[in-house]
Amino acid sequence: MLSWTIWSVGILLEALILFRGFQGKFVSRYPFFYAYSGCVLFVSVLTYFVYAQDSTSSGMWYWGAQLVSLISGYGILLEIFNHVLSPYPGAEKFARVTGFIVFGVIFCFALAYPLMRSQWSPAGTMVELERNLRTVQAIFICAVSCVISYYGIAIGKNMKGMIAGYGLYVATSLVILAVRSYAGVRFDEVWKVVQPLSYDISLIVWSVTLWSYQPNPVAERSIQLEADYETCVARTRSLMGGMRSSLGKVARP
Amino acid sequence: MIQLILFLFVGALLFSSIFFLSRRNPRTEGSSKVLVEARQALNSLQSGLLPPELVGRIFAREDFEYVANHTPKHVQEMFRKERKRIALAWVDQVRSEVVSLRRFHLGAARFYAKLKFKTEMTLAFDFAALLLTCRALRAFLYMRGPYAAPRMVQTTAAAAARLCDVSEKALAFLTPSPLSTFADRSAGTAQS
Repeated sequence: MLSWTIWSVGILLEALILFRGFQGKFVSRYPFFYAYSGCVLFVSVLTYFVYAQDSTSSGMWYWGAQLVSLISGYGILLEIFNHVLSPYPGAEKFARVTGFIVFGVIFCFALAYPLMRSQWSPAGTMVELERNLRTVQAIFICAVSCVISYYGIAIGKNMKGMIAGYGLYVATSLVILAVRSYAGVRFDEVWKVVQPLSYDISLIVWSVTLWSYQPNPVAERSIQLEADYETCVARTRSLMGGMRSSLGKVARP
Repeated sequence: MIQLILFLFVGALLFSSIFFLSRRNPRTEGSSKVLVEARQALNSLQSGLLPPELVGRIFAREDFEYVANHTPKHVQEMFRKERKRIALAWVDQVRSEVVSLRRFHLGAARFYAKLKFKTEMTLAFDFAALLLTCRALRAFLYMRGPYAAPRMVQTTAAAAARLCDVSEKALAFLTPSPLSTFADRSAGTAQS
C-alpha cells in the first residue's frame, strides 16, 4: 500500500512538472530535463498499469523502467553542463577534462574488477549494473559541483534545484543499491520503499525550483584582462611565490 | 565489505557536495568587483601587512626584552598575550588576502578557453599549500608565541619589495595614470 501511494504521488508530481514546463514554456529552455521527465512519466505510467494487471511480471518491467530512467538521466547531466558551464570556457574545459579522467578511471576499474572477483552471480547483475551506473553519475555530479564551487560560478534557482534534486536521488539510490548488493534479498522491502521515496523528494524539489523560469546570473566581463592565459598564470604564480617566501621566512626561527 | 564502504563513501561525498552547493553564498559575479577586491588585497599586503618595519615591530623581541627588564611579571604576561593576539591577527589577515587573490585568479581563469588543466591543478595545489602554510604558521605562533622568528624583518622587507613590483604590474590598469589624466585635462583645456 505504501509503495502504491509513493508511486502514485510520483506520477502526479511528474505530470505536474511537465504541465508547468509546457505552461511556462520552459520545455524549450531545458529540453534534456523535460525529455527525461517525459520518459520517466511514460515508463512509470506503463509500469503502473502492468503491475496493476499482473504483479508477477512486474520485475522485468521494473528493470526496464530503471534502465530508461538511468540512461535518460544523463540528459540532466548534459543540461547542467550546458547551462552552468558553457558561459565559462575555462571552467568548462576543466570540468570536461576532469570528467574524462573520472570516466577513464571508472572504465579501467570496470574492466579490471570482473577479473579480480572470485565469484559472479547473475542474480545480482541488474542491481550491480544500476549501482555502477549511478556511481558514474554521482562522481560526475560531484566533479561538476566542485568545479562550480571552485570557480565561484553563480547558478540560478532552476539549475540549483536540478542539481540538488537529481543529486539527492542519485546519492540515495547509490547508497541503497550498495547496501542491497551487500545484504541481498532481505533488504528488498526497504529498498522498494526508500528509492521511490527519494525520487518523490527529488520531484518535490524540482516542482518548487522549476515553478518559474530563473536562469543563471550572467557574469559580466566589463574589464578585459590580458588575453593570454599564460600571463594570468605567471602573474598569479609570481604573487604566490613572493608571499610564500615571505611566510616561510617569517616562520623560520 | 570494502566495496560497500567505497560506494557509501561516494554517496556521502555526493550528499555533502550537494549540501555545500545549496548552502553556498552567491559570490560577486563579474570581474569588476573581484578586481577591485584584488587591488585592495594587494594594497593591504603592500602597505599594511608586509612592510618590514610593521612586521619587525609586531615580532620584535627587543620590545619584550625591554618590558621584561622594566616591568613586573603580570605586565610582561599581558604584553606577551597582546603581541600574540596581534601576530595571530596578522597571519589571519595575510591568509584572507591570499584567498582574495585566489578568487581574482579564478574569476579571470574561468573565462579562458585555452586554460590548461595541468597548470590549473598545479596552481590549485599551490594555493592550497600556501593557505595551509598560513594555518601552520598560525598554529606555530599560537603554540610558541610571537618571538620565534628573529630574522623576519630583513627577509620580509625583501618579500614586500618583490610583491610591490609584481602587484603593480598585475593590476596597474586599475590605478589611474597621472600622466594620462594630465593629458586628458590638457586636451579638454585646448578644445575649450
